Amino acid sequence: MVGKRVKCTGCSLLCDDIIIKSDGLYVDEIYGACLKGKERFDQVVSKNRILSPYVRKNGDLVKIQLKEALNKCIEIIKKSSKPILYGFSTVSCQAQLKGIELAKKIDGFIDSNSTICLGKVLNTSKQTGMALTTISEVINKTDLLIFWGANVAESIPRLLNKALFSRGKFRMTGREIKTVIIIDPVKTASFGVMGVRDISLKIEPGKDLELIHFLKEQCCAPNTIPPKEIAGIDSDDLRRVLIQLTNTENGVIFIGQGIVNSTLNSNVIQELLELVQIINIKQQKGRMSVIMLGGHYNMAGFDQVALSMVGKNHSLQFDNNQLVETSDTIISKINNEDFDCSIIVGTDAVSHLPWKLSNKLTSKPLILIDNKKSATFSVADIVLPSAITGIECGGLAYRLDHVPIELDKIVNPPGNIISDEEILSQLIEGLKTT
Amino acid sequence: MQMIVNTVRMVDYDQSKEYSFGDDISLKENMAIGILNPEDYEKLKLTPSLNLKLVNKHGQVIIKIKKEKNVPLDTILMPISIWANQIIGISNGQIIFKNIEVNAEATTDNVLDIKDLLSIIKK
Repeated sequence: MVGKRVKCTGCSLLCDDIIIKSDGLYVDEIYGACLKGKERFDQVVSKNRILSPYVRKNGDLVKIQLKEALNKCIEIIKKSSKPILYGFSTVSCQAQLKGIELAKKIDGFIDSNSTICLGKVLNTSKQTGMALTTISEVINKTDLLIFWGANVAESIPRLLNKALFSRGKFRMTGREIKTVIIIDPVKTASFGVMGVRDISLKIEPGKDLELIHFLKEQCCAPNTIPPKEIAGIDSDDLRRVLIQLTNTENGVIFIGQGIVNSTLNSNVIQELLELVQIINIKQQKGRMSVIMLGGHYNMAGFDQVALSMVGKNHSLQFDNNQLVETSDTIISKINNEDFDCSIIVGTDAVSHLPWKLSNKLTSKPLILIDNKKSATFSVADIVLPSAITGIECGGLAYRLDHVPIELDKIVNPPGNIISDEEILSQLIEGLKTT
Repeated sequence: MQMIVNTVRMVDYDQSKEYSFGDDISLKENMAIGILNPEDYEKLKLTPSLNLKLVNKHGQVIIKIKKEKNVPLDTILMPISIWANQIIGISNGQIIFKNIEVNAEATTDNVLDIKDLLSIIKK
């Protein structure tokens, strides 16, 4: 059996250097994947795989035929005047496109996981601008890596291999001349890569804004004598950070969940992006940029697809088949019970949302399109099984640095399971004909 | 005792992994947990047979405890899961995933199973 190079959809890094051996029916051997990637490939045969459509009858989920399940979905959607669609971060861009098309057709509201995640950074950048970079540039040029509220060793396990331990075109000395700064209240597994030149900043919880204010005022002024302590970080470390920010030729700040959700003060992201701008104005030698560390492998894709289709990256409300202005998000729609059915695609909303929202979500008919059982599966009214994108069907996905990556089909899906894109297409077609 | 909860993702306590390759028991054992500093463990008068009850304005949850010296004082780390979501709320239109204020106390009460939690949600 000859090895084949494929992409991995275990996380948003979409590694393209995984070697697998497959007979077309099963993935027999996997080389080069991290734990998360290995799990993703193993899900093909995992015991929680959804292999059949289900409908809830007398409180229990019972198996039915796909055609019947689709008809029941169409019945629910036709009766609905305020449907919501949510998820779409672990499906292809083609499926995301169909999701938006479906929302438009049924005058629904559609949102992705990005809304409660790194979409907040993208929204803020509309006011401040944002200097983005790519993984390739990080490999080839970066000499300063700042992980802010991001435990990458566990969330995006191979990022450090690529960004830190690689040797790029202009960084042939690799790790030896790269400096890492980790800003986190907890000494996470990522601290394990710290060397003598690196700086670990154990910031006090919720004090990120204090540190950003200090850096905004003092960055790129190496002769500054910092105060005794800022946000639990001592003067010596603050001084070392200032020196690094001044001397870096190419720095990157990896924005993690820790800072995005560190406080309810939404200014944190704005202030951080402004800090990057200030560094880039004051910096004499190089530039600073950011990379958003989304978790789901195609969270960035929904933002891209929505922006290119309708000019808005999330929280799309359609009325009379037209996009209308709304200040609602998926949170306010569910919280205000401003919906009468939901279509959840490729996410375990019940486990991710506060229980009070989950309670409201499950009080109305819930249609789930997914490939694996979860808490949401247990409370859904109709379940449509889908093929695993990047393994059982192809499609496009956007990597965490917003670079499009074409995913491949490796093995055939079990039974007659179709892709998310095909399911959504059949729902659209069914609504046209009935 | 007043503490803050931070929800986190960790390879060893991963919800998706438990759903795929575990069962309801391993899901509860690995997700219905809080990780805290050994000093806080002492302050809360916890013992291996006791659980921790977290209460705030959003709800309450009972979890098992693991000790880890790298966790800051007065802080509990909880893997993102249906258990953590019992005490997560909304403020200013945003879901609060970090720095969640809770009152923590040792309890002899049992940790709820996934089925119990789902039946509460589905009510």
